[in-house]
Amino acid sequence: MANKFRSIETKHYAERDAFFEDLKKLDRRAFMRVAGISAGIVAGMGLRSPHSFQLVNVADAQETKPRFSFAYISDTHLYEQKLNDRFVRAILKAVDDVNALDPQPDFVLFGGDLAQLGQASELKLGAQILKSIKAPVKMMVGEHDWFLDMGELWRELFGAPNYSFDHKGVHFVVLNSILEKDFWTEKKLTPMERMKIVAGLDNALQSRFEVGSEQREWLKKDLAKVDKKTPVIVFSHSPLYKYYKPWNFWTDDADEVQAILKPFDKVTVIHGHTHQLLSNQIANISFHGMLSTAWPWPYAPEGLPKLTVQMNRPDPFSQFDGCGNGRMDVLEAGLVNKLYNLWERNPITVRASYLTSGGKQDVPPRTKLPSY
Amino acid sequence: MRLSSGAALPLVALLYALTGYAEPPPRQPAQPPADLPPGVSPALWKLVVPASAAPTPEKVALGQKLFNDKRLSVDDTVSCATCHDENFGFSDGKPVSEGVKGQKVTRNSPTVLNAMFNASQFWDGRASTLEDQAKLPILNPREMGMPDEAAVVAKVKAIPEYQAEFRKVFNRDVNYDDLAAAIGAFERTLYSGNARFDRFIQGDSKALTDSERRGWALFNGKGRCNTCHAGNAVNPLFSDQKFHNIGIAAHKQDFVKMAREALKIVRTGDEKQIDELALETDFSELGRFLVTKQENDIGAFKTPTLRNIGITGPYMHDGSLATLWDVMDHYNKGGVSNPYLDGGMQRLGLTEPEIDDLVAFLYTLTDERFTKLNQKFLTQQRARKNQRPERDTAVAMGKKGNLGDLAPNPDLNVKNPAELGVYGTELSVKPAPAKKP
Amino acid sequence: MTFKMKLLVGTGALLSFAGGVALASGPAARTAAPEVKKHQVPVSKDGDIVLGLCDGETTMEVDGVKDGQKMTREQAQRVSGALMAEWLKKNPDANWDPVPLPAVAQAATPPPPKNPEAPRSPPGVPRTPEKPTAGGSVVQGGVRPESGGKDVKKQAGAPIQDGHTYGAFSERDEAIWAASTQAFVEEGNRVFHDGDLLGSTVAMSCDMCHPDASNTHPETYPKYQVQLGRVALLRDMINWCIENPVRGKPMADDDPRMRAMEAYIYAKRKGTALEYGKK
Repeated sequence: MANKFRSIETKHYAERDAFFEDLKKLDRRAFMRVAGISAGIVAGMGLRSPHSFQLVNVADAQETKPRFSFAYISDTHLYEQKLNDRFVRAILKAVDDVNALDPQPDFVLFGGDLAQLGQASELKLGAQILKSIKAPVKMMVGEHDWFLDMGELWRELFGAPNYSFDHKGVHFVVLNSILEKDFWTEKKLTPMERMKIVAGLDNALQSRFEVGSEQREWLKKDLAKVDKKTPVIVFSHSPLYKYYKPWNFWTDDADEVQAILKPFDKVTVIHGHTHQLLSNQIANISFHGMLSTAWPWPYAPEGLPKLTVQMNRPDPFSQFDGCGNGRMDVLEAGLVNKLYNLWERNPITVRASYLTSGGKQDVPPRTKLPSY
Repeated sequence: MRLSSGAALPLVALLYALTGYAEPPPRQPAQPPADLPPGVSPALWKLVVPASAAPTPEKVALGQKLFNDKRLSVDDTVSCATCHDENFGFSDGKPVSEGVKGQKVTRNSPTVLNAMFNASQFWDGRASTLEDQAKLPILNPREMGMPDEAAVVAKVKAIPEYQAEFRKVFNRDVNYDDLAAAIGAFERTLYSGNARFDRFIQGDSKALTDSERRGWALFNGKGRCNTCHAGNAVNPLFSDQKFHNIGIAAHKQDFVKMAREALKIVRTGDEKQIDELALETDFSELGRFLVTKQENDIGAFKTPTLRNIGITGPYMHDGSLATLWDVMDHYNKGGVSNPYLDGGMQRLGLTEPEIDDLVAFLYTLTDERFTKLNQKFLTQQRARKNQRPERDTAVAMGKKGNLGDLAPNPDLNVKNPAELGVYGTELSVKPAPAKKP
Repeated sequence: MTFKMKLLVGTGALLSFAGGVALASGPAARTAAPEVKKHQVPVSKDGDIVLGLCDGETTMEVDGVKDGQKMTREQAQRVSGALMAEWLKKNPDANWDPVPLPAVAQAATPPPPKNPEAPRSPPGVPRTPEKPTAGGSVVQGGVRPESGGKDVKKQAGAPIQDGHTYGAFSERDEAIWAASTQAFVEEGNRVFHDGDLLGSTVAMSCDMCHPDASNTHPETYPKYQVQLGRVALLRDMINWCIENPVRGKPMADDDPRMRAMEAYIYAKRKGTALEYGKK
C-alpha cells in the first residue's frame, strides 16, 4: 500500500492521540484544547457521514413532517479511561455521530448514567467529553451518577436534576426518576457499597426507583401552567412504567406520574436505563427507550410491552453491536419518531404512528432471532 | 479423525427438518466422490452440489476445454484460465487481473480451488452459483469483452467440435446456460483438501512444526482469525462466507464521500450495471453494498477461504497486500479506521515472532500437490519480510491510537486452543485401534 | 460369582486432586476440604477382579478372571447386568429411569460388529437419532446459498432487521451448524460405547449401564454427590465411572473424549428441563 493513502488514518490517530492525552489532564486549560481538538476531529472527519442518519429518508406526509429534531446519547457508564477505554471510545463514537449530523439537531439529550460508579473521575471525564458536542446538551441523571454521593457532584457539574423548558411549542420536562427509599442506613452500607448495589441489576438488596412525592408535586405545579393541547415530552432515566421489577426496569410511582400526565393530549416519555429497543404505549403516553453506548441489555423474562419490536440479539464478537445513539424527530403533531442509530447494523425507525395505532401501522422491521 | 459418512448422512435430513419451510425440498443432493481428500467435507459437498449439477465426466471434459479456451474472449486472448491459472493455484499472482487488451480490472482474482463450496461467488457475492459466476466475466468489457450472450453462443457454435460436443453432452444446440453449466461442472472437480494441516488434524502431530502449531493456537486465540475464517470438519473452508468491512477499501482517500454518492446512484442499477460498476469504477470499493444496497455492507467483501492461501497472493479484494506478513500487519493494527469498519476489527497486539508463527501456519493450508509452489512463494514472501508498508507496531501494541484494549496473553500451558482437537472441536478422538494380531 | 456388601469409609481427599478436580484453589482450603470417599473394593481371595458399582458400596468378584486380565465384552456385560440387578434389589424404590424405547429397538437389531475379535470394542455403535441441535430457530431472510443479486433485491423489501451478524445467516449456515454439532455428539456416542477409547482395563463401557445415556441425568448437576462427599459436575461423575466400574484412568476436564461424551449425554437429554441440585 502506497504511503500516500495513509494520511487520513495517520491524521485520525494523531488527533485521537492528542485528544486522549488531554483527557488525562482534566484541568481547565487542557479542556480548552480538548474542545478545540475535538472540533478538529469532527472537521478532519468531514468526510465521515453520520451514515445511519442520512439513509433514513422518509417521504413524510405533511402532517407528520418533523417540526424539529434532537439527538440523544445515553447510558455511557464511563469508568476512568485507564481502567476501561472501551466505554470511552464508545461515547466518543457517539459524540462524533451527533456532531456530524447534518442538519444539526436542536439539542442533544444526555439520557443518564454518564458514570459507572458515580466517581468524580468518571463524572468529570464525561463532562469534558460532552462539552465537545456542538449542539446544546440537556442533561439527565441516572442512578449510576447518583448513589455514591447522592448527586452532590452531579448537581455541581450539571445543575438541578429536574427542570423544564419550552422549545418550539413543545413543553419538555426532565425528571430525576432514579430516587430510591433508604435501604442503606439500616444495613450500615458505605457509599460505595450502596453505589455498587444500585449499579447491579439482579440483586434484590435495593429499593425500587421512584420519582417521589416531592418531585411529583413539583411536576404538577410545572404542568399547571401548560395548555393541555401543548405537546409534552418527558425525559426520565427509568422507564416511568412497570416493566420488570427484579431488574429495576421499573418506577414504583409510575401510575401516579402517568396520572399527572393524563390530561395532556400528546405525551411522550423518553427514557434510558434499559439499553435496548423498547417501545410502549399506555393510554395517551408513548414511551421510547434509548440505546446505551456501553452495552446492550437482554430483554427481561417477562413484562415486555407488547408493542416493543425487539432488537436482534447482539453479536458479542462485534464490540459495539447492539449499542448506539439516536435521533428523535418531533413531528408537527407533537409526537416523536424515533431513530435507533445502531452501530454495526442498519438503522431502525419506530414511528409515532406505530405506537398510536396500537401496532397496526408502520410496523418496524421485525427481529430475525428470538432474544434469549 | 476423518469425517466420513458420519456427518454427511444426517445433513440433508437436518436441512429439511430444521424449520419446516413451506417450500418443499428443492433438490436431491448428489453423491460426493468416494475419494474426497481429508480436508474436503462430504457433508458440505452434498449441501452445495444439487443432483442436477453433479459433474459427469462428459460435462467436466467439455467444461475444462471451455475453461481453457481463449476463443471465449472477444479477441481470442483471454480464457478463464488466464486469471485462474493452475500454475498459480487457479489464481493469477497479480494484484488485480488483466483482461482483453491488457485492461486492468479492479479486483484480485480469487482462486477457483474450492470455489464450488462458496455460499456466493465474487468478492461481493453478486452471483449465487458457479454457473451464474461463469457467465459474467465473459461479457465484462474489461475481462473477456464479449458484447452479449448471443455473440458468445454464435462464436462457440461456429467451432464445429464444440457444436458436436454440446450436442453429445446436453443433447441440444449450444446455448449460454449449458456453456456455464459445463464450466461449473469442471469447477466442481477443483476441490482441494490435502494439506499438511489436514494430516496434523487427523492425528499426525509431527506434521506441523512447533512454530506452525503455535500459529494454529494464535489463529484460534489471540489472533481472533477464526471469528471470520472459521473452519471445522463439516465446513473446512476457513471462511464464514460473510461480508466484512476490514478497512481495505478505506485505503482510498475519498472512500466515505464515494459511499455517500453511491447511496444515491446505485439504487437504480441492474445486475449488469452493478457488475460493470464493480469492475470498472472506483465504486468497486463499496463491495457488498453494491449488491445489497444496505448501508452496513459498505466496503464489505467476502471472507475468502484460507485454503491454498500461501500460493494465491497477493491478498485482499484489490490485491493491495503483497505478502501474508502485510496481511498480519493490517489486522494487527485493527484494520484501517472508517465509519463502516466491522466491529470485530480490533488491534491484536501480536509480536513479531507471533506474526511469523501465524504466517507459518497459514502456509500449511496449501494442498500438497502445490508443495513446490508453496515453498517458492514462501521464500519470495520471506525475502521481503522487511518491507512492511502496513506495519504500525505502535498502534498494534496500543502505544498510539485507540483501537481497543486487549486481554492478557493466554497461558498456553493452561489452555492451548491448538490442542482442543480438530478445528477446535472434538473430532480429534483417535479412532479405535484396528484389530490387533 | 459372589456378592459382597461393604460399608465404605472415607479414605482421604487425595483422590479428587489426583483426578484433577480440586475443590478449592488455596492450599489452606485444601487441607480443610471435607474428606472425599473412595470406593475401596475388597480384595479377592482368589486374586479375581473385583468391581465396584457407582453406589459406592456394591461390589462383585468375577470368578475366573484374574486382576490385571481383561474381560471380554460379553463377560463384562454379564457382570454389569448382575451388578445392576443387585443394586436394584437393594434399592427397590429407587428411581431408575427405564431404558428409553428407541434404545431397546436399537439394541434388538445391533449393527454387525466391525471388529468382533477386539474384546473391548463395541459391536458397532448405533447412530444417535438425528435431531437438529443447533440454530433451529432462525427464519428465512438472510443471505442464502441461492442468493445473489436477484434474491437480494427481493429481500431488500422484507420487514426484517438486517445488516448485522445474525441477520446474515442462511439455511446453509444452519445446516453446517447442525451437522457440526451432530458430528461432535456422534463422537461422544462412539467414546461412550467404546471401552478402549475410555481406557477401560476391564472391557467396560458407559453404555453397559447407561444404554442411550439413560440415567445419566445431566440436568441435575451441579449437585451434592453423596458418593463423592462433595458437589459434583457431570464430568466429575463421568470420571468417577471411568475410574470405578470402567477401571480406567480419569480424564482431564478438557480431554476431547470427555468433551465429546458430555456433548453426547446432553444431546440425549434434549428437552429435559435443567434442575440443578436434584437428587
